[in-house]
Amino acid sequence: MRKRTPLAVMATLILLMITLVAPSIPMSSASAAESKNLIYDEANLLSEQEKSELNLLANQYGAERQTDFVIYTTNNVENQDVMLLTEDFYDEQGLGYDKKFGNAVILTMDMNNREVYLAGFYKAKEYLSDQRLDAIRTRITSELSSGDYKLAFEKYIELSYKYMGYEPGVNPNNILFNGWFQLGVSVALGGIVVGMMTYRSGGRVTVNRATYEDSSNSSVIDRQDRYIRTTVTKRKIEKNNNNGGGGGGGTSRGGHSHSGSRGSF
Amino acid sequence: MPVIEYKCPNCGSGMIFDSVSGALSCPSCGRQDNIEQIPDPLKRQVFTENEVKEYHCNSCGADIVTEPETSATTCSFCGAAVVLSDRLTGNLAPAMVIPFSINKDQAKQAFKKWCKNGLLTPSGFMSADRIQSITGMYVPFWLYELHNKIEVHGRGTKVRSYTQGDYHYTETQHFDIYRRIRLNYVNLPIDASEKMKDELMDKLEPFPYNQLKLFKTPYLAGYIAEKYSYTDEELFPRAKDKTRSYIDSYIASTVSGYSSVSYTDKQIDTTLKHADYVLLPVWMVNYDYNRAQYTFAMNGQTGKVVGKPPISKAKVTGWFAGVSAVSLLSLKLVSWMMGGGFL
Repeated sequence: MRKRTPLAVMATLILLMITLVAPSIPMSSASAAESKNLIYDEANLLSEQEKSELNLLANQYGAERQTDFVIYTTNNVENQDVMLLTEDFYDEQGLGYDKKFGNAVILTMDMNNREVYLAGFYKAKEYLSDQRLDAIRTRITSELSSGDYKLAFEKYIELSYKYMGYEPGVNPNNILFNGWFQLGVSVALGGIVVGMMTYRSGGRVTVNRATYEDSSNSSVIDRQDRYIRTTVTKRKIEKNNNNGGGGGGGTSRGGHSHSGSRGSF
Repeated sequence: MPVIEYKCPNCGSGMIFDSVSGALSCPSCGRQDNIEQIPDPLKRQVFTENEVKEYHCNSCGADIVTEPETSATTCSFCGAAVVLSDRLTGNLAPAMVIPFSINKDQAKQAFKKWCKNGLLTPSGFMSADRIQSITGMYVPFWLYELHNKIEVHGRGTKVRSYTQGDYHYTETQHFDIYRRIRLNYVNLPIDASEKMKDELMDKLEPFPYNQLKLFKTPYLAGYIAEKYSYTDEELFPRAKDKTRSYIDSYIASTVSGYSSVSYTDKQIDTTLKHADYVLLPVWMVNYDYNRAQYTFAMNGQTGKVVGKPPISKAKVTGWFAGVSAVSLLSLKLVSWMMGGGFL
C-alpha cells in the first residue's frame, strides 16, 4: 500500500505538467529553411523585427495545422471592399500550405476603412467556421483599435492554431476544454472524496427520521393551503445585435469558397 | 447482601451470561440455565438508597473496588462476576435489557475486520494487533416516548415562467400554508452515561428492539454495567434536540409542490409520555497506536463499529492524488471524445 502512494502522486504531477505546459508548445517546429513569408505588411504596421517574429510563429504553428496563417495589411488606396480584397489576394498569391490554392487563413487589415476581415480556405474553412472566426475577431478587435498590431496578430495566429485543434462543430470555448477548469474540477473532486472518506471513517449515523417515528399515531391533523395573490415580473429578452461586424464567407472570383468574419476596429 | 453472584448448582463455579445461547451458563461444567425461568434474587431484596458503601466479593471476600456508576463488574482479585444489586433497584431498576449477541472473540474478529476496511487508516493500524482491552458493557439508555403537537404557519410560492413576444414572464403565486401535525416518537434512545460520548453512542444506533428482554440480573453476569448518571428529565432537552431535525424534515415532507417555502411560525409542543430505563450492549475497545489511545465502541448486537481511527497522511495524499488524476484523465477523455483534443 505504501509504495503505491508516491506513484499516484507522480502520475498526477506528470499529468498536471502535460496539461499545463503542452498546449503552449507546438509538437514540431519548422526549420528556418522551410519557412516562407506569410506576413504581407503593405501598410507598414510592423517593424522588421516584429515581422520576422510573427513569420516564425506563423510558420511553426502552420506546420502543425497544415495551414498557412497569413497576415495581409493594406492601405487600400483603391477603396475596395475588404472581403473582395481578401479573396483577390488569395487568388493572386495562390496561397496554401499544402499546395497552390490550399489551406490558408487570411487576416486582412483594410487601413483605409479601418476594417478587418478573416477568411478560412479549405481545411481552414472546415475548421474555422464563421462562428469561430467571429470569436477570434472579437478577441483581437480591442488590440487592433488601440494600434497594438503585433499583439493582435500574435493572438490571431495562436487562436487560429488553437481552434483548429477542435473538431468542426464543437464550441472551442466550451469550459470543458479548458485545462485549468479540468484541473480545478479534478482537484475539487479529489478533495471532496477524501473529505467524505475522512468524515465517514468514524462511522456514521444510520438512523433517519422514520426510525423512531410512531407512524400509526402520527399524521397531519389539519392543513390549509390558501391562495393569496399572484405577482408577475417581466424581463425584455436581449436581442443579439452585432455591432460593426458579422459573419459570412463566400466564394472568390477564382472559385475558392471560404468562411469569413468581418468587422471594423 | 447487596452483591449477587451466580454459583453453578452443579459444580459451584461462577456462572456468566453466554451471548451465543442467551442463557446463564457455567464455563466449568457447561450447565445452562434459562434466564427467564430462574427467579431474580433482586426482586426479593429491599434496599434503602445509598445504604451500602462497601462491597465484598462473595467468593474470595475481597473488597470490590468500583466506580460509583458501576452496577456490574468482575472481582479484581478472583475474577468472579458480581452484580451490585443496590445499584439496580428502586429508581435504578432497569425496565429492560438487550443482551449481548456478540461475544468477546466475535467482537475482536469484527473489530479486526473493521480495521482492515479503513481506507485511510495507516497500515500499522490495520493489523489491529494492539487491542489493549475489550470490555463488554451495558450502557444505560433512556428510551423516550415523545408526543409532539406541531403547528406551522408559512408562506409558499409556485413559480411559472414563460416567454411571450419580446418578454420573459415570471409568474409567482403566493400561498398561505398551515399545518397541524401530531407526531409521536417511540423508543428514542438517549444514553444516560456521563462517561460515554454522546456522538459515539448516537452513531451506534439502531439497536434491535425486538431483542429487548425484561430486565433480569443474570444478563449482566460477566459484563460491566453502569447505572444512569442523568435522569430522564435531565436528558429531556437532549431528546427534544435529537428529534428536532426529524420533525423539521417531517414538516417539509407535508409541504410539497411548492417552489419555495418559508416558515413564519413553528410551534412544537413536546410532551414526555414516559421514558424506559434500559441497558444496551456495547463493546468498548481500547486501542494503542503510535503512543496514542483510541477508543471505539461496537454495538453488542449488530457489530457496528464507531470511533475515530487514526488517519494516515500518506494515504490521504494518495487517495487525493489518485482520485484527482483519474477524474482529470476522464475529463480529458470526455473533452477528447467531444472533439476538443486531448490536451
